[in-house]
Amino acid sequence: MTPTAAWLLLVEDEEPARRLLRAYLARRGYRVDEAASAREAMRAWDAHRPDLVLLDLGLPDLDGVEVIRRIRRDAATPIIVLSARGEERDKIAGLDAGADDYLSKPFSVGELEARIHAVLRRLGGPEVGPDGWLRLGPIELDPTRRSVAVAGNPVHFSPREYELLKVLLANQGRLVTRERLLRAVWGLEYADAREYLHVYVGRLRHKLSEAGVGPAIDEMIATETGIGYRVAVSKAAEPAEAPTAG
Amino acid sequence: MAAFAESRGLVGRVFGRRSATTVAAAILSALAGTTLAVAAIRAVVPDVAPVYLLAVLAVGMLYGTLPAVVTSVAAFLLYDFLFVPPVYTFTIASPDEWLNLLLLLAVAVVIGRLAALQTQRAQEAADRALEAESLYGITGVLASTRTVGEAAPIVLARLAAATAMDRAWFGLGLSPTEERIVADTATGEALPMPGWHVVLQRPPDRPAHWVRTHVGRAGLRRSAKAVVHRVRVEVAGELLGSLWVMRARAEHEPDRAETRILAAAADQLGQAVVRDRLAEEATNAEILRESESLKSALLDSVSHDLRTPLATIRAAAGSMLDRSIGWSEEDQLEAFQTIDAEAERMGRLVRNLLDLSRIEGGALRPELAAHDAGEIARQAVARIHAEGKAIGVDVPPTLPPVLIDDVYLGQILANLLENAVRYGGSTIVVQGRDLPDEGAVELSVADDGDGVPVRALAHLFDKFYQVPRTDDLSRRGMGIGLTVVAGLAHAMGGTVRAERSATGGLAVVVQLRAADVPPASQAEPVPVPVEASR
Repeated sequence: MTPTAAWLLLVEDEEPARRLLRAYLARRGYRVDEAASAREAMRAWDAHRPDLVLLDLGLPDLDGVEVIRRIRRDAATPIIVLSARGEERDKIAGLDAGADDYLSKPFSVGELEARIHAVLRRLGGPEVGPDGWLRLGPIELDPTRRSVAVAGNPVHFSPREYELLKVLLANQGRLVTRERLLRAVWGLEYADAREYLHVYVGRLRHKLSEAGVGPAIDEMIATETGIGYRVAVSKAAEPAEAPTAG
Repeated sequence: MAAFAESRGLVGRVFGRRSATTVAAAILSALAGTTLAVAAIRAVVPDVAPVYLLAVLAVGMLYGTLPAVVTSVAAFLLYDFLFVPPVYTFTIASPDEWLNLLLLLAVAVVIGRLAALQTQRAQEAADRALEAESLYGITGVLASTRTVGEAAPIVLARLAAATAMDRAWFGLGLSPTEERIVADTATGEALPMPGWHVVLQRPPDRPAHWVRTHVGRAGLRRSAKAVVHRVRVEVAGELLGSLWVMRARAEHEPDRAETRILAAAADQLGQAVVRDRLAEEATNAEILRESESLKSALLDSVSHDLRTPLATIRAAAGSMLDRSIGWSEEDQLEAFQTIDAEAERMGRLVRNLLDLSRIEGGALRPELAAHDAGEIARQAVARIHAEGKAIGVDVPPTLPPVLIDDVYLGQILANLLENAVRYGGSTIVVQGRDLPDEGAVELSVADDGDGVPVRALAHLFDKFYQVPRTDDLSRRGMGIGLTVVAGLAHAMGGTVRAERSATGGLAVVVQLRAADVPPASQAEPVPVPVEASR
């Protein structure tokens, strides 16, 4: 990979906010395309296929969720939703439509950059190693033998716990909604049974922590209250195109 | 006179009540007629006594059993006196004639009775039909009306007609003395005090009956002229009120048919009251739901509209704080200007919210004074963040001063201008127009954007109203700006309206009262301060 700056598409209808964010991100070394409406966003997407999309959900012409669906039809390009809507259902709608992460307005520019960085790191580094193993810090998951080890020492998990961990490790750098996890691990009919998830994630964290990961596990699999879980990106997978400050 | 008694009530009204004199005259004429007939045909017909049966039959059919029996006996005596030898005495010579006469009497009585019964049945059938019709007329009212207020007068009018009551009224309340009268067939007249009245008892296991009773302190003496009847209006054992009827004391107590109609009317009124209650509960629930959804709409909008400028401010401040970036002086100036403009916008939102609560609480106290509308318009335009759009002010210097609160008008114009900047076209113009005939001045803010659908124009000033777009989740504003505009304008004695602008966009027109100017001003225009900045 060539060390070029990541190409961002900033979709925001508020003119002053867009101008400021664009200026800041450009100074941080990203290439930034701007769009003030869903229609402009689609045009920019078709023209440049940016590396990452920053999307405000409240657009004048079309709901931002439609833009996410449209992008997801073409590619798995990371999407970070920015929205002033306080309602959790809006965040969940965006994430369920395929967005990778979410930032509520008002956010600090530093926070935004950290999220961009995390999502791009996942893009740069392999989720699945050449051996097919999934890794997060000292945690290693071997899908062929259905085994998990922490720092080389095997840890026993029930089949459900194993499935849950696998889905979480496969979604590093993402905010995964509870509904998506429930669907993936328990199947469609359990999509509303949220209490399962709390219990299982709790057990997972406890076992991994005991096995040597320690309290850091709460940051590796962090709870996003009311929405789901944010999975950290393995430190081993540094992105090749980390932008340089300009 | 039992037969007469039977014919009272409904039947009495249908056939009319006959006096004893009328009946006696009828019997006499019937007997005289038949006697003449008997005398005429006696020469040819050997036994003419049965001709008298015709008279008995006629009287029985017309007047009932008793007159028929009287006629029978009279015919018996008459025939004996006139035609049985020895004539002109009541003496009877032959025992055969005795038998003959007694047979005539017996047959006459039976025929008379049968004729009377026949008529009675027919009358009863007619009564039933009439009662059924009355009941139908009363029960049908509920289906064709929506409220008790609508149904009660119709029920009462039909009831009074069907039961020949002088007056009928309907009151709601837990006791006869505390009722609120809902409807009354006699308007304007004072209602009789309940005092003595007859109340209908409807025990579940026994037939309904009337019981004389007294309530309250007033009217302990019985009215000499009229009797008041009361039927309790109850639904599922709960007393709701009373149905009252009144008629002359000379009249009889309500008979069974009338009682049935009264009871049915009371039940119908009870159902109407319950229906009203249910409708009211449903409305209340609806209002509650609506206000809940308004509350959540307000929270949603406040959250969105405050976060949006806040996000821009944080982005600006955060960028400036990043020491790793060497911002140029121009960049910094722009960031600070943005922070300033967005903070101003937030301030306006907060003020709108406060104004809204003042408008709703009726706590607006405008300080009215004569002001130059053009000056206020130019100041408002100077303060707004135009986001690159052209805003012109076209207020003629001859425009008379307006009687307004300058803070309110400033807020009105700021809201209208911000709306135009956010949702309107690229060119915005503030215009002033004199309406001397109405003693008013119009200020309008117009843009050349897409405008709003005609259907939406009327709703623009509703709280939380958002112009519908292709997608209802599109960019949202708080939807209170125009509500505040209307509230502030009304507080100053003005009006607002929305219309299509000359350039196809939206125009919001605020009509304000012109300030009274001294007559001299007609010759010499009021000096109007004009600011150079536009």
